[in-house]
Amino acid sequence: MRKAIFIMPKRLLWLSMTALGVLLISALVFLYNKTRDYDPSNYFENVALLRQIKQLDARWELDAMKSKIGINKTYDPLVDPLVDLSKLQQQLDAVGASQKGDSARTLTNSIKAFEIALQKKANLIEHFKSHNAVLRNSLTFLPTAAEDIQNLLNKGKGQDQSVLKSVAAGVNKVLLASLEYDQAAADDKVVEIELELGHLAAQTKGLPSDIDDMVGIFVAHVRTVLREHNMVSGLLNSIATAPTVARLDDINNILNGEQRRTAEQAQKYRQYLLIFAAALIGLLLYAAARLIRSHAVINHVNMELKHANDHLEQRVKQRTQELKEVQAELITTARQAGMAEIATNVLHNVGNVLNSVNVSAGLVSSQVHASKALGLGKVVELMNEHAEDLGDFLTQDQKGKMLPGYLSKLAKVVATERQSIIEELAHLTKSVDHIKDIVAAQQTYAGASSVFERFQIDDLVEDAVRISAGALSRHQVTVLKEFDDVPALLLDKHRVLQILVNLISNAKHALNGVPGRERQITLRLHRAQGDAIQIQVADNGEGIAPENLTRIFTHGFTTHKDGHGFGLHSCVLAAHEMGGSLTAHSDGFGKGATFTLELPIKAKVKEGALS
Amino acid sequence: MSSCQLKLILVFMLGGTSLAFAVPLDEPIKPVPLSLNQDPARAKIGRQLFSDVRLSSNNRMSCASCHDLGKGGVDGRAHSIGFNGKLTDVNAPTVLNAALNFKQFWNGRADSLEAQIDFVIQSPVEMGSKWADVVTKVAQDPKYQRDFAGAYQDGVTKATIQNAIATFERTLITPNSRFDKYLRGDPDAISSAEKVGYAKFKQYGCVACHQGVNVGGNMFQKFGVMDDYFAKRGHLTDADLGRYLVTKDENDKYVFKVPSLRNVALTAPYFHDSSAKTLENAVDIMFRYQLGRVGSKEDKEDIIKFLNTLTGAP
Repeated sequence: MRKAIFIMPKRLLWLSMTALGVLLISALVFLYNKTRDYDPSNYFENVALLRQIKQLDARWELDAMKSKIGINKTYDPLVDPLVDLSKLQQQLDAVGASQKGDSARTLTNSIKAFEIALQKKANLIEHFKSHNAVLRNSLTFLPTAAEDIQNLLNKGKGQDQSVLKSVAAGVNKVLLASLEYDQAAADDKVVEIELELGHLAAQTKGLPSDIDDMVGIFVAHVRTVLREHNMVSGLLNSIATAPTVARLDDINNILNGEQRRTAEQAQKYRQYLLIFAAALIGLLLYAAARLIRSHAVINHVNMELKHANDHLEQRVKQRTQELKEVQAELITTARQAGMAEIATNVLHNVGNVLNSVNVSAGLVSSQVHASKALGLGKVVELMNEHAEDLGDFLTQDQKGKMLPGYLSKLAKVVATERQSIIEELAHLTKSVDHIKDIVAAQQTYAGASSVFERFQIDDLVEDAVRISAGALSRHQVTVLKEFDDVPALLLDKHRVLQILVNLISNAKHALNGVPGRERQITLRLHRAQGDAIQIQVADNGEGIAPENLTRIFTHGFTTHKDGHGFGLHSCVLAAHEMGGSLTAHSDGFGKGATFTLELPIKAKVKEGALS
Repeated sequence: MSSCQLKLILVFMLGGTSLAFAVPLDEPIKPVPLSLNQDPARAKIGRQLFSDVRLSSNNRMSCASCHDLGKGGVDGRAHSIGFNGKLTDVNAPTVLNAALNFKQFWNGRADSLEAQIDFVIQSPVEMGSKWADVVTKVAQDPKYQRDFAGAYQDGVTKATIQNAIATFERTLITPNSRFDKYLRGDPDAISSAEKVGYAKFKQYGCVACHQGVNVGGNMFQKFGVMDDYFAKRGHLTDADLGRYLVTKDENDKYVFKVPSLRNVALTAPYFHDSSAKTLENAVDIMFRYQLGRVGSKEDKEDIIKFLNTLTGAP
């Protein structure tokens, strides 16, 4: 659960970082596209298209004017623009269709409006063409018609010449007025023409039908001119005022507006892009600053860690040193404790031996005191008294006769005494030697230096037993020995001795608490696996409680009333130091204990220890 | 290179003598261009389609049924017979030089030849077809399939069929009439009598409407400008309303496209209602109702002589 909580924010952080990255990239792409979208060439093409349409439109109008005044002899120029215009119109539709943005609808509407205007204009031009054709036809015909009438009138015989002349004048007047009207249309001219036409109609009533018909034709064409002129003028006006140009301008304005807006937008997006880039740079700088700062922090922390590490190492060294010192102290203490133990033993033993020395000395002294040799002096005195008659004395005298027997008895007694004294003295000497040995042993042990020497372990075991002999005999402990043949060891002899003494002492203590049983210590010596030997000190004493089996070797553990708890601990240390081991075994309380000291035949000496 | 420079170069190259016959005349009637530069492959397909009866719903009518190229592009009937025997409302105009008309049909309801084809194919009187059927029928023909694939990216479609026929029709121009040669600068291409006829054609005002490259076909005009033609003729039909049918503008009533006079000698009968069986009739009607003038028989004959010079082979 804790793990999950720990991971979730990390994943979220990663996700959010990715999302932010994607966001930034898409923003960049978006802005870049927006600025790239802006293509003014399209706009210029469209403007050029509009201008082309405008030009065509203007030329169309101009051609209409030309047709009106007769410069254009055909209407083809008024037709041809239709084809071009319809093509351009399709392009314009395409422009409208391709337009994007808000103005698209406005633009399509404007284009539609233009197209409607153009269609209307085309219709106007069609009508203009029709009416202009009629107008021009009548206009060109009017002089001919007038001339025809004049010819007829001239031929007109038997008629009222004044009427004919009046008709001719009227026709000419109307012709002139009509031509003038065509040049400069005015309402008063129409009134004038109508007036003259009325006159003509009145005058021709009585005239022959051919003249009447001819005048009728003339009048019809005059009326046509009047009618069509109005028509054509009106149409031309309408054509001129047709809002195609205005519609085109509308489209142009929309395109301009759109162009301006697009340009502004592109400008705006460019600015956005700039700001975005600046923001990105800022972000990068910030990130760099953060990186540098965190790098500094890491460095700092690293330094502190190194510091702490160094400090720790120092402290560890110090502690190790302290521990070593404590250990050394402990060992020293243990050794001293061991020494004390041995010293106790030694003193005890020395005391014991001194006892026997005393006894021996006493015995010798009392034997010397009570020596029968004093009788020898009496004999010598007697002999001296009887120096002249020594022979007689020896043979005759009562006393003298007893003398040789006495002497031989005395000699026997003295010899016995001497023998006894010699024995006692030997004993004494031995005891003194014993003391010397004990003291020597204690002295060598008291020295701190380890001396490696080759020795026979069985001798050492015997030594240990002898050192403890006093105490053992005092406590009526029987020592059994089961020694195998083992090779000589190359070890610190005194340490081994210390251990053995300690173990025997412990065994002796263990036997104390068990009354009513033959106290027995069995010392076993045999070869162990590998280059090692085993010395077992087994007793049938109180044994060790299982819970104490592991604790007995620890420093300060003791079951003795006045024990200091160093004994076994220092033994274990010593055994280990020599490359051996010390183990304890007990079947339980009251079942005795067996301590097994395993020692290598050859000490594993550390380099330099021998030098 | 401008035409002015071209002329100058010609002057230097050929000398002044040839100038007279090289310079086209500045007349209200313009010569037909020698070619409208159409795609030959498409025109070839169009030629086949033009005579293909599969364009009609019952496979009995082709374009050529009414527009016989051997008869001046018309069928000579007053009213053509449609796919199911019904008669058309108006007289079939010639297909010759139709490409030069500014709009198609008498009332100008089609702005292009393509649009004209669309009307005819779907007309319930003429072809009575549906485009889907036409396209299917054409597409089923492997030859068409091959030809269309070669000429058009889209293959056989309504638009390509229309375009093919229109392309063919755009090749049906007659630039080699004698009058065209005259206009291009050959003074001997027409006789002096014909020249007189042309002068009278202009003088009487015919040229007011029948002008330009197609001698008409570039404007609308009311039938009966100077007199009420339809009142005199009687039996008013819907078709007589002319352009009004397209624009619904009162002003467009009785207004028709001014027909081309090219090959007019071949395309009798005349007018949308085929009321004139001969050129003489037609000229008479024109004089009376359009020009509002009385012409002498001689003048009219002269004019007809001129009209005959407008005949040319495609």
